[in-house]
Amino acid sequence: MTDPTNHPSLAERIAGLFHRPGRSILTFFEHLGRYMSTIGWMLYNFRNAKEYSGNIMQQMVMIGNNSIPIVLFVSMFVGMVTSVQSSYQLYDWIPRSVVGALVTKSVLLELTPLLTALVLAGKVGATITAELGTMRVTEQIDALEALAFDPVSFLITPRVLAGILMFPVLVIFGDLVAILGGMFGASAIAGIPVEAFVDGMQSSFETWDAFFGIIKGTVFGFIITSVSCYQGFQVQGGSEGVGKATMNSVVVTCLSVVVMDFVLASVLL
Amino acid sequence: MITLTNIWKRFGEKQVHQGVNLEVRDHETLVILGRSGGGKSVLLKMIIGLLKPDSGSIAVDGKEVTTLSYKQLQRLRFKFGFLFQGAALFDSMTVGQNIELALRRHSDFKDADIEERVKYALELVKLKNVEHLMPSNISGGMKKRVGLARAIALTPKYMLYDEPTTGLDVETADGINLLINELKTTLGVTSIVVTHDIHSAFVIGDRFAIFENGQFIMTGTKDDIRNSPNPEVRKYIESEIET
Repeated sequence: MTDPTNHPSLAERIAGLFHRPGRSILTFFEHLGRYMSTIGWMLYNFRNAKEYSGNIMQQMVMIGNNSIPIVLFVSMFVGMVTSVQSSYQLYDWIPRSVVGALVTKSVLLELTPLLTALVLAGKVGATITAELGTMRVTEQIDALEALAFDPVSFLITPRVLAGILMFPVLVIFGDLVAILGGMFGASAIAGIPVEAFVDGMQSSFETWDAFFGIIKGTVFGFIITSVSCYQGFQVQGGSEGVGKATMNSVVVTCLSVVVMDFVLASVLL
Repeated sequence: MITLTNIWKRFGEKQVHQGVNLEVRDHETLVILGRSGGGKSVLLKMIIGLLKPDSGSIAVDGKEVTTLSYKQLQRLRFKFGFLFQGAALFDSMTVGQNIELALRRHSDFKDADIEERVKYALELVKLKNVEHLMPSNISGGMKKRVGLARAIALTPKYMLYDEPTTGLDVETADGINLLINELKTTLGVTSIVVTHDIHSAFVIGDRFAIFENGQFIMTGTKDDIRNSPNPEVRKYIESEIET
């Protein structure tokens, strides 16, 4: 016979419905609070940043120099595909120089900053989280504290500063290569003369567009590095915890980047 | 002197410490014995402020650790050397850089002096010409020695050892035990050693504290432990006889 006391009451069932989403919301705000507190501590100790200048240079190389090939590769194909698809959509409708204008605007305002950020969320963000997460589970972060170092100033500040400084540089390189790729795609595949492409590019170019992309790069650089560092610091358990945190880091940074992309476009354009 | 009074600590649902009391006297080596995962290492981390107890008092040389500001806590940490269970060497740095890191940050030594001190610290742990090696290229026993060299580089007053012989073969473990004893006589440090290895404990310890179910069930000398009728304590003595 079934024990009637095993059946939850209606009130318990209703409470159960709210339990999981309620817990998720609480966890979200708990992490947001801890993240803000870490960033606050980093900013408070910013005056010590020069003591770790060696670490900052090292991270600039890791985040910036080492990412140039992948950023250029992606940008080149983004430019080419944008130009080929634009010419396909606009064929015979409007002057062909419009393709040059369209590619330039799309690349500077949206495509290069966003795609660079998404690619680097995977490359740089995942690397940072895995590195710091491994340091956490192998007690290297505890060892730093035991040696009277501030782990936030020593590990997080250099990475975030390097991200803020190097992401815009990568966006500039990406812009240049994407436009060249667009020009190549237009002339080689869509049959649009280079002169027509350049005419369209010149007629539509505004300095603010390029500057807006650089601002986006700076903001995305901050988001990707700071969130990845935070995720790495929060790792618990062993290698499973590092893997989970790395996945979370990529998901959270990608989502944060697309949301911030919309916010920046709404506010600044 | 280090004094722990009525320490309580909980992690989630698990009550790890239930009113822990302990006194560590100057220049002695106190060994904390207990089963793995019982909360012994947490005690070491609480002593240098890496973790905070939920309640209770921790005093180091009369200073209350739990109420220190961040800066005061960092200054207090200069008094401590900490050998972590897995040595916790910074794997992106060479052996030499691991040892000199704290010296460069916290002392006014010139490059030549730092080099000298790194060599001296390595000599104390019986290592030579390994400064340029990466931690991934050295054995587990060597890692512990380098961890020890890093911990003593700033000539601490207190040494905290977290499972110093775990994962090592008998010969290497004996070497580490010997080093712990030598450092005590050479540097005159006060040491707290956390271990579940009774054999090592009796080689290095002056006094012993048995940690069971969140409390110290007994504190005393080797003879006190050996002659104790307490069945929980007898378990350790029997495991020594078996080994």
